[in-house]
This record gives sequence, structure tokens and C-alpha cells, in this order.
Amino acid sequence: MSEQSLLQVRNLSASVEELPILHNINLEIKAGETHVLMGPNGAGKSTLGYTLMGNPHYNVTDGSIIFDGQDLTKESADKRAKAGMFLSFQNPLEVPGISLGSFIRNAYHEQTGKPVKLLQYKKQLAEAMDLLTMDGDYADRDLNVGFSGGEKKKAEILQMLMLNPKLAILDETDSGLDVDAVRTVSKGIQEYQKKKDGALLIITHSTKILESLHVDYTHVLVKGHIVTTGDGSLVEEINEHGFEKYVRCEGCDGCSPLN
Amino acid sequence: MADNNKAVVDIDRSVYDIKDVENEQDFYRMEDGFTEDIVRKISEEKHDPEWMREFRLKSLELYNKLEMPDWGPDTDDLDMNLISSYVRSKSDMKGKWEDVPEDIKNTFERLGIPEAERESLAGVGAQYDSELVYHNVKDEVAEQGVVYTDMESALTGEYADMVHEYFMKLVPPTDHKYAALHGAVWSGGSFVYVPKGVKVDIPLQSYFRLNAAGAGQFEHTLIIVDEGADLHFIEGCSAPKYNVANLHAGCVELFVKKNARLRYSTIENWSKNMYNLNTKRALVEEGARMEWVSGSFGSHTSYLYPMTILKGDHSTMEYTGITFAGKGQNLDTGAKVVHQGKYTSSLISTKSISKSGGIGTYRSSVIINKEAKHAKTSVSCDSLMLDSISRADTIPGMDIRTDDADVGHEAKIGRISDEAVFYLMSRGLSETDARAMIVSGFANPVSKELPLEYAVEMNNLIKLEMSGG
Amino acid sequence: MDINMKVNHLPALTYRFLKSNDSEIEIKDIKIKDTFSPEMQNGQDGVSVNKEASEEDVRKLFDAVNAKAESKKTDVPGPNGDTAPLNDAQSVRTGMGAQIDNLMQEMKVPVTVITADEGCKVSEPVMIRFDLKDGDCVLGNQVIHAKKDSEITVIMEYDSEPETNGFLGIQTRLLAEEGAKINLIKVQMLGEKIAHFDDIGGVCDDKADIETINMQLGAGNTWGGCRVALLGDKSVFNNHTGYLCRHKQSYDMNYVADQMGKKTESNMVFRGVLLDEAVKTFRGTLDFKPGSAGSVGDEQEDTLLLSSDAVNRTIPVILCGEEDVDGRHGASIGQLGDDTLFYMESRGIDEEAAKKLMIRARMESIARMIPDEAIIIRIQQFIRTIL
Repeated sequence: MSEQSLLQVRNLSASVEELPILHNINLEIKAGETHVLMGPNGAGKSTLGYTLMGNPHYNVTDGSIIFDGQDLTKESADKRAKAGMFLSFQNPLEVPGISLGSFIRNAYHEQTGKPVKLLQYKKQLAEAMDLLTMDGDYADRDLNVGFSGGEKKKAEILQMLMLNPKLAILDETDSGLDVDAVRTVSKGIQEYQKKKDGALLIITHSTKILESLHVDYTHVLVKGHIVTTGDGSLVEEINEHGFEKYVRCEGCDGCSPLN
Repeated sequence: MADNNKAVVDIDRSVYDIKDVENEQDFYRMEDGFTEDIVRKISEEKHDPEWMREFRLKSLELYNKLEMPDWGPDTDDLDMNLISSYVRSKSDMKGKWEDVPEDIKNTFERLGIPEAERESLAGVGAQYDSELVYHNVKDEVAEQGVVYTDMESALTGEYADMVHEYFMKLVPPTDHKYAALHGAVWSGGSFVYVPKGVKVDIPLQSYFRLNAAGAGQFEHTLIIVDEGADLHFIEGCSAPKYNVANLHAGCVELFVKKNARLRYSTIENWSKNMYNLNTKRALVEEGARMEWVSGSFGSHTSYLYPMTILKGDHSTMEYTGITFAGKGQNLDTGAKVVHQGKYTSSLISTKSISKSGGIGTYRSSVIINKEAKHAKTSVSCDSLMLDSISRADTIPGMDIRTDDADVGHEAKIGRISDEAVFYLMSRGLSETDARAMIVSGFANPVSKELPLEYAVEMNNLIKLEMSGG
Repeated sequence: MDINMKVNHLPALTYRFLKSNDSEIEIKDIKIKDTFSPEMQNGQDGVSVNKEASEEDVRKLFDAVNAKAESKKTDVPGPNGDTAPLNDAQSVRTGMGAQIDNLMQEMKVPVTVITADEGCKVSEPVMIRFDLKDGDCVLGNQVIHAKKDSEITVIMEYDSEPETNGFLGIQTRLLAEEGAKINLIKVQMLGEKIAHFDDIGGVCDDKADIETINMQLGAGNTWGGCRVALLGDKSVFNNHTGYLCRHKQSYDMNYVADQMGKKTESNMVFRGVLLDEAVKTFRGTLDFKPGSAGSVGDEQEDTLLLSSDAVNRTIPVILCGEEDVDGRHGASIGQLGDDTLFYMESRGIDEEAAKKLMIRARMESIARMIPDEAIIIRIQQFIRTIL
């Protein structure tokens, strides 16, 4: 395949506790591209995010994940992160005793192997927090402990901005957020998209978060199959008509799910 | 709702309190106390094989040496010199219900035993004092090769070697003082063997009735569920109330072979003069599953902690228990589990209710050995205090020796919330009914594990206790 | 002399095979060198110190609260296997029990009584530091007495060089009068060749509050006990313990909250890490006495097991003789959860680094509550050195 392909997912099938969830997924993301993955509840969207990031609960039963020229199919999550992949969690971890700021510093250090230049780091952190309208105090608060749903999501986006991955997978980052928070998070994503030329795979079942973002491709996942792929306009179509068309299509025996 | 209310009206504890006057002509009663002489007499009376007589005598020696535990309920009022080790009807065990002596039959009929057999059981054993008086297995179950017989027949019959191989190997007489006593004077109980791959669809049941005042019941239950087989065994216990102490020191040994499953359900409703010092233990092999459902309502004093040894890899256990300690009762109950195999898992969930000066203690131990990699255990115990003259104590212990374990433990103690009572009263329930309903709801996780008719019995017992009966 | 004592009795006995009903301290041929408390590092207004008090003085100090406790006794029986009678002779019931009192009296250890004057909020923490030199065997005994509506913070730090041999045994008793508050912080960073015990017992009168923080980071064999009687109505006991055990270290604890007054509150948190062949025994008891209506108690234990050779024993007990209470305990024991590890790894932090991060996080979440920056930094350094 082509050189510029950042992520190549080929014939990927995955299961959780022996139950097959993903079937024969093919997906290609080039550097700087924004892809949206949509689909009804239970379609396997989050499973795809976890499988790409290497969650040990999810078993790859077939296919491969090539990222930036390396085969990461069997690598642990930290290797994938070091290669430049990032996953924003729906329910991020709470760690009493480690502050958000110190956690990001630790992660940055582990990923780059370089000592962190404290002044520069603090400046960057302050700027990113400002962009996300996060109070500076949050850097000193324990990681996600006592954070509201919105603050947790912002803290995930903050980590994305600070760690500067090549590909960020955002798993339902907009769910449970009010309009203002969606707008703020969206601003953070734009920053990453434009200034850092980062590639994105945005997993969502609503379209609120996509309103101010440029979308290159949209994929629809139903019952573990990608049933259709289109450009950004597909988002609006789904917005209007829902998934019904694709669900029915997938349920029909005479019709290939990949059509 | 309407049905529940009806049940309250229907329940009457007097059914458990039927006393049959045992006249000397019809009953044989061993003199009180535990001596070598008495043990020899029991052995003779029961036509023991040689090894069993030796076993009894050795056990008696141990009994005399071992000390009472210092940690449990007080047993000072239990005078062992006043307990008769052996009482039996002079009639032999019957295979037909009609042949059981009239007085005994009446007792069991009033407890609903034959009725339950007709409706929902694969086989029934009924023990009256020290010996089984009735035993029957449905033909279709017997045809599958399932053996369900009294221990005495098993000891000398076709399965004699199997009994010799397994008898008190899991609960050796060295285990504790009352295990030793059991080894010395055991009598009655059931032997069950379920052959490989046989699934018994409906439960087998044993019913234990201790009728004689000042007597001990020492039945032995030995169940072997062979590879891939499946069994549900139910035991029920009751006794009329006397003013002198009775003693129950039974022993249950359960062997659950590879990929087999055994569910063992007990509704214990001994009368409130009973010292219930019972030992139950299961050895669970690879991929097998042991399920305990236990309801403790009766007895004056209980020491009861069914133990599960998860020996095989991927073996699992689940224990669901409820204890209701009312006036004059000191019920010390719980569960023990030892994780030995890899990927073993245990789930213990108990409810305890204390009322009218009753003492309810939840006691448990969870041991995860070094070899038990990836073991998982979850314990949850809830206690409910219904007044401030009672006690509810929770004393769990855990000993974890591998890092590769996942251990969760939760305990709660509390009361019935005033809001909940108010809510139900606002819907027209009396305060007593409202409280009874809340307690039933609290017990629901246990009752839903029981077959319907036992769940009903349990709910009736709760209502009876709640109405101060 | 030889020390041979049974300590840390579980308030209600359980199965003998669990070997957790009590613990034995056995030390042969020990020469107790010092039996006094070191100089306080800062004297200040509102605090008075008597360094030569006797056990008789201590008993008199606690006379009033002991009489009050006596008047609250009821007919409700104790739990099965009740061990309370073993410690009946103590002036103040402590976590480790009467045999510590016996040792202190036998060795004629003078008691240092630190008193906060009525109504006085002592602004700076009182610092007591034991710095053990090689061969030191030290016993110390303190009473902290917070008079009505006063508040005092005492920080006790136990240090030595890593290779130091020795023994340090401390008993600290607390009396919080009506409306008073005592904050007691103990930080133990002794070398691993030192045997150590630390025994705490306290009484809270109406609306009084005892807050303890324990950081156990060093020593070889350590015994720790802490028992607080919430005698008065609306009294409060909060405890936070953090411990890190590695090599062949052992840590044997017994914590008890005796809730006697109405509407009392107790909250105990234990957060620890076991490495290598460390052995830990935790006993934690909430005891709701009859008459403690409206009381709540919570006890949470969280142990991170990072070695397959470590031994973890946990006995979380709730005793209850009162209807109107809300008591709960939870324990969570295991290695780093899969979800935790995956989250860390997804940020590029590998398993080894994640473990270190979580150890530091646990210790720091407790250490951070200490109102003294310099000690927090010393704790951080100590942890960094051993990791």
C-alpha cells in the first residue's frame, strides 16, 4: 500500500471473551486525515477503538494493524502510544495521589525518553488548558478524581494536545457534554487537526461534535461490519435519516454487508 | 401482595412443634453421654464393618482430646452427658410411604414432605431421630444409574468400597471436636452417587427430623457427582421445641468431579433448643461448580460454615446464605473457601437479620494459595438490625498469597429506613406488614435461589419471625 | 532482657487457622537504652509539657472519661469470642493492648504529657523526632491532652540511617475533651534492621475529634495499633494509613473505632503496597456499642500486591449492638487492574513505570495530608530512593 498511509487496518476481526464483535474491518487513514466512525449502539465502535489501541480484553482473531509502517497487531498499548497512537477514553482512569499535570509529564517523559523542560512544559500546559477553558488548578488536582464528566473529557483532550500523537482516536468524547462543553472540546480538536496536522478517528453516535470540524471520510459500523464509507456529507445524511437504512441492509441475507 | 398476606395468616409454627411421645415399646434409646461403651453398642446395633468400628473408637479418642473453639458462641449450657447419641424407631426403613409407622408418617405429612415428593422431587429420604425411616427414588432417575440410599445400606452394599474410600476423608475427625464426635457416633444420612454425564433434572431431598427430647442427630451425607454430571440436593431440618438441649452434629461431604455441578440447598429450621454444630465441605475438581444456598432460621446456637475447596483449575463456587437470629438465638454462620487451582472463582453473598435479642454473626474465611493464579473472589455481606437489644457482627478473614488475585470485599450494616416504612404505610400497609415486606425484600436474593415451595416456606418463616411468633 | 508480648488482639476472635487473632512480639536480649522522649523542636504559646509524668498521673487524667464510659455499659452481650476483658486494666484502651502498658511500666518509662490549653488553637504543629543511631533501643511514651475547645497538631517522625540496628517502641495516648481536636501524624522511615512498635489509644468526649495519619515506610518488623473510643456524642475519628512493605518486612496492625456516643463518626482508610516477600496483617474493627444511635462508620482497605511472594491477611470486622447505625467496610486487594494498566499504557507508560507511578500515587495521596511541606518532601525522597 501507499507510503503515506498512517494507519492500515486489514481484515481485522476481534472478539471479547470468545464472542466475535468485529468482522473483517478494513480501514485506511492517511496522515492529517479526519475519519468519523458512526453506528448505532452496540455496533462495536468502542471495540474498534480499544482493539486499535491494544486493550488486552479484546482479542484480534484475524487481520492486522499497521501503523506508520510498523505491524502493531500484537504489540502492547504502550508500544502503540510510543509509535504515536492516542485513545481518548469514555471513562478515563482516576488516580488519587498523582496530579493531572504530573501524569502528563510522566507520560511525555516515557514516550519521548527525554527529560521534560519544566518551564516550556508549564507554558504549553497553561496554553492548552486555556484553550480548553480549564482552570489552571486542575493541573494540580489528582488525575480525574472528583472531575465532572465534562472535565474528564477535557482532561483527555488536554493530554492529546500535550502528547501530540500522529493519530488520535476519540471514543464518544462528546457524549454526556452540554453544548458549551462540546464547543470547547471541539476547539481543542480543531487545534490538533489544524496546527499539528494530526490524523483523527472520531467515534461518535451523534453529530454535534462534528459541526465545526472538517471531515474527510465517514464510515458506518453496524453489527461489527463497516457497511458503508463516504465523505463528510454522509454525516449529515445520517443526521437526518438515522441508521435505519444500514441496519436493514446488514440484516438482509441476500446482500453483502460490504456493499 | 394478596398471596403474601394470605401466607402470613396461614403460617403457624406449631406444625414444627408436633411432639410424638415415644413410648419405650416402639423406640430404642441409647443411654445418655458419650463413652467407649456407648460407641461400641452403636457400632454393634448398626452392624458396622470392622474398619468402621475402629474408626468410631479412634474418633472418640480424638473427641476427648480436642478442645472447644474459643471464638464462637458459648456452649456451656450444652451438657454432653445429657445427650443421647442414638434413638431409633423399632421399625425398619421403608421404601413405601404407606409402610412408615403411623405416628412418624403423620409428622412428616404435616410437614408436607410426601406432597413435595409427588410434586417436585426426584427422590426423598426422611430421617427420624437417628435412622432413616423412608427412602425412595423415582424410577426414571434410578434407571439413569443414580444411587440414592441411606448411609447404612451404602456401607455394606454395592458401594461399600466407594464409601470406605471417601468417608470422612474431606472432613477428618481431626478437624475439630464435633467432627470427631460425629466420627464416633454418626448414624443415618444419605449416600448419593451420580454417574458420569448424568444430569438429574429435578432435585433430590433429604428431610431430617429430630423428635426425641435430649437426643443428638449425627447424620452423615456423602455425595459424589461424577464427571460432567449435575445434581441439586435439598435438605430440610426441623424438630419440636423441648426445654432440654438437643444436639445436631451432622457432616456433609461433597465431591464434585471434573466439569460437574452440584447445588446444595438447606432450609434449617431446628427448634430453638438445638445446638447445631454441623460441618459441610465440598471438594471441587477442574471446571466443576459448587453452589450453596443456605437458610438458617432455627436452632438455639449454630456453628455453620460450609467450606469449599476449589482444587481444580477453573473451578467455581457460589454461596448464597441468609440467617435470621431471633430471641434467644446465637447463630454464628458463614462460609469458607480455599482457592487452590488456577482461574478459580468464588462468590459469597450473605444476608443476616437480628431481632429481639438474637445474636447473628457472619464469619468467613477466604484463602487464596500461592498456586491459585488468576483467582477471583468477591464477598458481600449485609446485616440488618431490627432493634437495639440484638447483635449483628461481621468477622470475615482473608489470607491472600498470590499477587495474581482479584479480591473484593464489602460489608454493610444498617436498619430498615424510616422512609421506606413510611412509603409502604402510605400505600396502606400496617407497620408490621411494611417491615415484614422490607425484610422479605432484603432476603429476596436468597429466596430467589430456592425452588418455589422452599422460597415460600422461607418467606413464611420470615413473616412468622417478624410478627414476633 | 527479652521482650515477649501478645499484642494486637482482634476485638472478637475468629478461626485459629487464620493466625490473626493476635500477634506476638518476640525480641531476645535487648538492652533498652533510652526511656524518654526527645526535646520538642518547637515550644509555643498555649502548649505545656510535663516530661516526668507517671502512669498514676495518666490514670487520673483519664478518670473522668473512664467513669463516663463505665456509666454507658448495658446488658447487651458482647460479640462471640470477645477479647475486651484482656485489656480491662488499661488506663486508656490502645490498639496493641495491655501488654504494652506492662512493658512501659516495667521499664519505668516516664510519660511526656503535652497539654493544649482550653480554647487554644495551637497554630504550629508540635514536632517530635526520634533519630535512632546504631544500637539504640528506645521506648517512648506520650499523652496528648487537648482541653476543652482546643486544637493541637503533633507530628512524630522516626528516622535512622538505612543500616542502623535497633529497636523503637512508642505509645501515644490521646484525650480530646469536649469540642477539642487532636491531629496526630506519625511518619516512620526507619532502617530495615530496626524492630518497631507504635501503639495509639484515644478518647473523644462530646464533639471532639481525633485525626490520625500514619505513614509506615521503613523498619523490619513493625507492629501498629490504634484504638479510639468515640465516647462523647457527635465525636469523630478519622484515620489515614499508608504503608509500603518490601523485602522481608512485616507489618501487623490493629485498628479499632469504639463508637459509644450518639451520632459519632468514624472513617478509616488504609492504602498500601506489598512487594517482594513482605507480610502484612490488617485488623480493622468498627464497634457500634449499644446506645451509639445515629452513628456512622466506614473502613476502606486498598492493597496493591506487586509480588507473588507477598502475604496479605485482612480481617475487617464490624461489631454491632445498636439498630440505628450505618456501618460499612470494603476491601480491594490485588495487582494493578487491567483497566488501569491499559490506560497507563495507552499513554505510553509501560507496566514497570506504571507500577512505580501507582506506588508513589498511593503513598502521596496520604502523605499530602500532612501539614508540613518539609516532611512531605522527605517522604517523597525516601520513596524515590527505595524505588
